[in-house]
Amino acid sequence: MSYIIQFKDVQKYYGDFHVLHDINLTIHPGETVVLIGPSGSGKSTLLRTINGLETIQKGQLIVDGKDVSSDKTNLNQLRTDVGMVFQHFNLYNNKTILDNIMLAPKIVLKRNDAKNREIADQLLKRVGLTDQGAKYPAQLSGGQKQRIAIARSLAMDPKALLFDEPTSALDPEMVGSVLSVMRDITTSSSMTSLVVTHEMDFAKAVADRVIFMADGKILEDSSTEEFFKQPKTERARQFLSQVEHH
Amino acid sequence: MSKLKGKRIGLLAAVVLVVVLVGSLVFGWTYHEYQSKTKNSLKNIKSAHVMRWGVKSDTRLFGLISPKTGQSEGFDIDMARTVTKQIAKDQGTKIKPEFTPVTTSSKIQLIKNNQVDAVAASMTITPERAKIVDFSNPYFPAGQSILVKKNSGIKNIQQLNNPKSTIIGVMGTMAMETTKKFAPKAKLIAMPDNSQAFSALQSGQGDAMTTDNAILYGFCQQSKDVAVIGGTFTNQPYGLAMDKGQTDLQKAVNRALKEIRADGTYDRLIKKWFGNIPGLDWRELTK
Amino acid sequence: MIKILTDNWSTIITGFEFTILSSIVGLLGSLILGTVFALMEMAPNKFLKFIGTAFVEFFRNIPLLVITLFFYVVVSHAVKINGFWAGTIALILYTSSFVAECIRGGVNSVDPGQMEGARSNGLTYTQAMIHIVLPQGFKLAIPSLGNQFINLVKNSSILSFVAGLDLMYQANVISGANLDPFNTYIVIGIFYLLLTGPLSVFMNHLENRLR
Repeated sequence: MSYIIQFKDVQKYYGDFHVLHDINLTIHPGETVVLIGPSGSGKSTLLRTINGLETIQKGQLIVDGKDVSSDKTNLNQLRTDVGMVFQHFNLYNNKTILDNIMLAPKIVLKRNDAKNREIADQLLKRVGLTDQGAKYPAQLSGGQKQRIAIARSLAMDPKALLFDEPTSALDPEMVGSVLSVMRDITTSSSMTSLVVTHEMDFAKAVADRVIFMADGKILEDSSTEEFFKQPKTERARQFLSQVEHH
Repeated sequence: MSKLKGKRIGLLAAVVLVVVLVGSLVFGWTYHEYQSKTKNSLKNIKSAHVMRWGVKSDTRLFGLISPKTGQSEGFDIDMARTVTKQIAKDQGTKIKPEFTPVTTSSKIQLIKNNQVDAVAASMTITPERAKIVDFSNPYFPAGQSILVKKNSGIKNIQQLNNPKSTIIGVMGTMAMETTKKFAPKAKLIAMPDNSQAFSALQSGQGDAMTTDNAILYGFCQQSKDVAVIGGTFTNQPYGLAMDKGQTDLQKAVNRALKEIRADGTYDRLIKKWFGNIPGLDWRELTK
Repeated sequence: MIKILTDNWSTIITGFEFTILSSIVGLLGSLILGTVFALMEMAPNKFLKFIGTAFVEFFRNIPLLVITLFFYVVVSHAVKINGFWAGTIALILYTSSFVAECIRGGVNSVDPGQMEGARSNGLTYTQAMIHIVLPQGFKLAIPSLGNQFINLVKNSSILSFVAGLDLMYQANVISGANLDPFNTYIVIGIFYLLLTGPLSVFMNHLENRLR
């Protein structure tokens, strides 16, 4: 079977600290995979190795047919195909919302202005922020900013999207709007999505697979139904009972 | 509210600061004027047994710091020593000379501030300066000349009288003013002191350097590729300067000058410093 | 004091013009050069980083007067360079080392998420720098840049040492002639205030407007 992302015996260290142990993981095109686990388990780090924001020290990581661990790989090329949505949005503070969405397509993809604007307008509509194009990020709420960040990633027409705790920095009443946009993307398109999250209901609703991580290791890799009904490890059971009693 | 208060205090502080500054300036000035009216330099010198001289530290032959001793040496310094000794003899007491380095632009201010009693710093006697300080009788017959690089082909100052030529002078010297008369079309730039003016000439910043001939001869002694040309075109003798109104001191200095000329000391000093300079006859200077 | 002004009006104005010219050239030059060297200092490339750091440390740690005299006395043997340009070039080099540090400080205080966001979006390091990080860094650097520019105007008095025809030089010439340094320097001080005052107000205004 084909794959879009493949980890083979990947190790990562911060100095002496072993962050990722023996990671073996294959993601297929179109899959929606949720990564969960206690904080400090290495979920975000694993996600960030995929588009080269973090380097790996051992093993092999192939993304979209390119070897991320090799120095020769053009990471800029790779990043146009793999978008990322951050916990703290990372919108360009010096640009308007429209410019946030249109900048990378314009200067990286050399998309012409009319087409670029058309796509940006469609995306703004898709995330439900049609009239906000002229504003600056500082004028939006957290939930609005995150939806713009998603639109910005989508504008590059990526094959895969990486979500790094996209709702953790939001006020509770903002979470719903972001999740519904994410649900729309993961279910209605052929997009491959990897989501690091603590939103168990969202995981149950949209994920094809759940990866459970603790202490830099992948402890479980199961279908969503299996994971939530019958976790294999004691560690996962503990974690689930904690988050669900929350 | 508190921010507004802060602003008001800041404003008040600024006003107080300005008032204090202006006040102390005015006070300082008045006190200084009062002091200069009541002081008697000769009396002070006699009671302190010290005569404080301002001398140059960058002028070869007149006052140049010797790297060996760290003291200024030159004709001006020897003059100051001899005059001090002579005054001491005349007054029947002991007086030690003490030297402070001055620059061309600071020498008058130091007299005015009572930091020195007199200045022996290759200083031309001019009517403008004589309004502010008192001069002794002339002690050195200087005149303005120009110094050029030997390979420049320049023979006299008239050749420099065109807008393409640049003449280097020294800030606060009479030469700056007189050059305007003799080469009005030339560009004139002023350097802070003699040695900087000379290095400007050497690095090609100007075609000629102008100041008193004796100073220029000092540079000839130091460097073989320059020459004083065209003779002197002004007559501007040097005088020893004291604060305005110090008539007692002025008389004492003039008396001392007359005595050292009469007993041959003066000629000896002239010969010591200017006896072996190519192109200069020291006997001319003693006339 | 009024008499000094009226007697030497054209001399003072000439000096004022040269001081303004030197300040403007110095400001633009040091802003451009300072930005270039700040970027080199922050560059991922080790060689560029070395050059940038070496430049900044060198010119930041030697007196402006030494640089000025170097150009006036030494460099002029090779290339004809007058006092005004010797002083102004020295002013640019000296100030740009401080400007580079201001800009580096500004860029370093931009949220690292801005760079990460841009790189994840497919922009190269250079594109991310030009479009996203540098504009924000400049904004953060404005207050300290303002201080450097005011220093630059005042430091332009270095021209007086090499006959650069600026305000300070004219002040020395005037006081050498009228033998009244006290009042002459007060008059010249006021002319410097005429330059630094509005510059200071303008930088404050810029700072407030961009906040």
